[in-house]
Amino acid sequence: MQTIYTLFLLTSLVSLALYKKPLLAQKIGFGGASLISLYAAVFFFSNLDETMLWKLPGSFISLPLFRLDSLGMFFSFLVSFIAFAVSLFSFDYAKFYEKKANLAVFASLFNAFILSMLLVIASDNVFSFMLLWEVMTLLSALLILINDEEGAGKRVMIYLGIAQVGASCLMVALIIMASIAGTFEFSQFEHLNIGTGMSITLFSLLLLGLGSKAGMFPFHVWLPIAYCQCPSNASALMSGVMIKVALFAFIKFSLLLPQVVTFGYILLAIGALSCIFGIIYALISNDYKASIAYSSCENVGIIFLGLGGAFYGLGTDSPTIALMGFIAGFYHILNHAVFKSLLFMLSGNIFTETQTRDMDALGGLHKKMPITSVIFFVAALSICALPPLNGFASEWLIYKTSVIGGMAEGGSSRFFFSLAVIALSITGAMAIMAFSKVYGAIFLGVARDSKSIENAKEVSVGRLIPLALLASLCVGFGLFMNDVVGMLTKIVLTIIPQTSVGVAGLISMPLIVAIMLLCSLLPFVFLYFLKANNKEVRVSDPWACGFLYNKNMQIGSNSFTGDVRKALSFLIKHEQEIKLDGYFSKAVYTKKTHDFFWEKLYKPVIDLVMQIAEEIGIFQNGRTNLYAGYILIYLCLILIFGYYYL
Amino acid sequence: MDFIYLLIQLVSAIIVAPLFDGISRKLRAKFQSRIGPSIFQTYYDIFKLLKRGRTKSSSTSYVYQIAPYLLFISAAAMFCALPITYGANSSALTHFSDIFVLLYLGALFRFIFIVAGIDTANPYAGISASREGTIGFYTEEVAVICLIVVMMGTGSTSLPFISSLVQTGEYGYAIPSFAIASTAFLWVMYVETGRKPYDLAEAEQELQEGVLGEFCGKDFAIIDIAILLKQITVLGFFLVVFMPWAGLVDNPIVSLVLFLVEVGFLYVMGVFIDNFGPRFTINKGMKRTMLFALAISCTSLVLYIMGI
Repeated sequence: MQTIYTLFLLTSLVSLALYKKPLLAQKIGFGGASLISLYAAVFFFSNLDETMLWKLPGSFISLPLFRLDSLGMFFSFLVSFIAFAVSLFSFDYAKFYEKKANLAVFASLFNAFILSMLLVIASDNVFSFMLLWEVMTLLSALLILINDEEGAGKRVMIYLGIAQVGASCLMVALIIMASIAGTFEFSQFEHLNIGTGMSITLFSLLLLGLGSKAGMFPFHVWLPIAYCQCPSNASALMSGVMIKVALFAFIKFSLLLPQVVTFGYILLAIGALSCIFGIIYALISNDYKASIAYSSCENVGIIFLGLGGAFYGLGTDSPTIALMGFIAGFYHILNHAVFKSLLFMLSGNIFTETQTRDMDALGGLHKKMPITSVIFFVAALSICALPPLNGFASEWLIYKTSVIGGMAEGGSSRFFFSLAVIALSITGAMAIMAFSKVYGAIFLGVARDSKSIENAKEVSVGRLIPLALLASLCVGFGLFMNDVVGMLTKIVLTIIPQTSVGVAGLISMPLIVAIMLLCSLLPFVFLYFLKANNKEVRVSDPWACGFLYNKNMQIGSNSFTGDVRKALSFLIKHEQEIKLDGYFSKAVYTKKTHDFFWEKLYKPVIDLVMQIAEEIGIFQNGRTNLYAGYILIYLCLILIFGYYYL
Repeated sequence: MDFIYLLIQLVSAIIVAPLFDGISRKLRAKFQSRIGPSIFQTYYDIFKLLKRGRTKSSSTSYVYQIAPYLLFISAAAMFCALPITYGANSSALTHFSDIFVLLYLGALFRFIFIVAGIDTANPYAGISASREGTIGFYTEEVAVICLIVVMMGTGSTSLPFISSLVQTGEYGYAIPSFAIASTAFLWVMYVETGRKPYDLAEAEQELQEGVLGEFCGKDFAIIDIAILLKQITVLGFFLVVFMPWAGLVDNPIVSLVLFLVEVGFLYVMGVFIDNFGPRFTINKGMKRTMLFALAISCTSLVLYIMGI
């Protein structure tokens, strides 16, 4: 494993050193990243059952230990595999940013980012973990800044702000845990001797700290801001795997705490809220990248629903539920990594060809980019959890876990598991609407603004291969559900105490496909025997009730969700502006949707902080001797404090 | 052997479905003091469509071309998920016949319906696609709340297993939450059949037809069958979970016949609501009427949570 880390570091440094020859650096950087991550993926996958240790050589302040167990191997595999596809994609895609940024720096940051994620997963020490965690956050922030548009600075600050709030919660939780355990090594944390109240407090801190990074509700506001800003390959990595690193850390640390049933309930409630709010915002946004970004919040919620079942199972000593919950959660983590990174890369393809992110300007792109369109169709089916693709497999397991969990006597477990199932089903119904809209508005129909797709053409083969690979995995992970579950069972059995349980009663995906194929034969038989009319299809304009057809008659992404927005008007605030210059001129309608939680939760806090910053600004007046005075006062205070209290 | 029975189940449903439609059309005509079409009219319609040529809108792509087949596949697979000719002891098909498989195949149907609607670039198809999604948004949770009571009560998501428990009386109407859930579920399944007052046409024939307005010829014939099949499936879904009495007979063919008679009865009875149902606009209609169904289903869920 140290070889992999070293190689990533070297590639990063080499591409940075070549900053005067950005095109060469880009080739070395992204090409190297794809080769190394392919090797890493193979390496981690083949060592799934093993535990590896690595100590950083040399003498630093502390001697950080890096340790990968089965779970760590699985997440390292996930990171390196997605990194492989994304860096292969970036090899060609990064050229789009040639004028905006130095590609050498881009490639270097990209490698360093992958390395930091791998190291966060492996680190086994509170300090090295926190340090690497912050490095990961900073590198991702710099990746966002690659796309240096107006307002980028502010967006990065929002991202960093939320990440810092999370990191401080995480820091507090880890230090408390370390002080109780008497050591800073995670592997020696086990069996913390603390009460239920303390355990729940620590769990909530961990959830705040790591959930904010994972994009859970109500921290979802940074998702669209950050992902829309950064280049698509970086957002594919961030959404595909960085939030999985946060989830990994969350699972790892929460397992160290004494298990209480409340953990499960907290996760189920948060998960339900996350997936409903995430999908509502994904549904109503008119920017396809924002839609995909918000759906990360939804999927993290879905993962939490699975993990909630798992923690409930651990809390109540029911190993079957714990096993199924963890398998469901990990399965959805795997699936989300695949289809979310795929969707972000596809959005990158669309953006480089059309230069717009507004769904109301696009349309009919299928005719220009047929392969991208078909891959997008597969990804959309899979994120909507439609059978027989992978999203369905993992959501089915989550449903199954919830149903088994809700069987137990007792109101609270029944209530929370019912909540989980209801939330997941509402999410399913809205995801259908959201992604059929995204797909339809971009690829189908007629272009609403014909300029947008004028110059669009299919992207290069180099960019399509990794996309096709991930799309085939979307199908494969669904079809071979039983094998994936078998693999995940082995990993999960290393983290839960009981070892004699298995998963039974799964649905059979190949059977579903077989029956669907059987059904697909029927219409042809039917048409053949009834001698249907097979004459060539005549092409005409779409039906417009006898009026002359105009492309603006099509349904737009705004009007598509109109009825749902009306029904949810208590949650979604929008401003409508109508500009009318004169009787005969065209009226211009604009509609802006506001994030309810941004207005109610974040804006007051930001305003308060700004106000305080303004107030304390008088201390900073630029005179050196005054600053020396501050230091003097501080030292005196410390002396007085030390004299009396220490 | 299971597969042959499954095929018989599917084919017989396809053959009988237009008859139910014909009978209900005749009955509706009688209510409106018309003579009405023959009860075989729906067959004639489908045969006629098969002989007609086709046009398509210039905006369409592959989605439009494969949509009829995909709609048919999802509707037919949904119907296959109903355990009529096979039971809990049939080894292979129990891994297919699952509540969530059925629900998500229904979602696939909806997805295809929406994307095909957008693909035609027809304004009416677009609006009806949007409405299809909105109706799903309203009905899905009511259906699932009712099913939660059943699934958690029996501890399984497998349809044959639930059917057999209700048949033998181990689980069933003696439990209040189950009985209440059945009412709300029948209501939602009626909504899913897309008849008045849930067709939401708002006086525009084009809106009601939606994406179908653009299809013609054999494509339209296939979609027609797919929609009939879906209507039968959603009513059958109710029967299989809440009134699986047809399965009490051991002979699969006899129970299939009994099932079809039951479904046909429900389908034709739907005319009583359909014919006298008012017309709503989508927001008022869905909000007002679905609120009752939601309240009923929530009552049953609360009863379940309380352990009754």
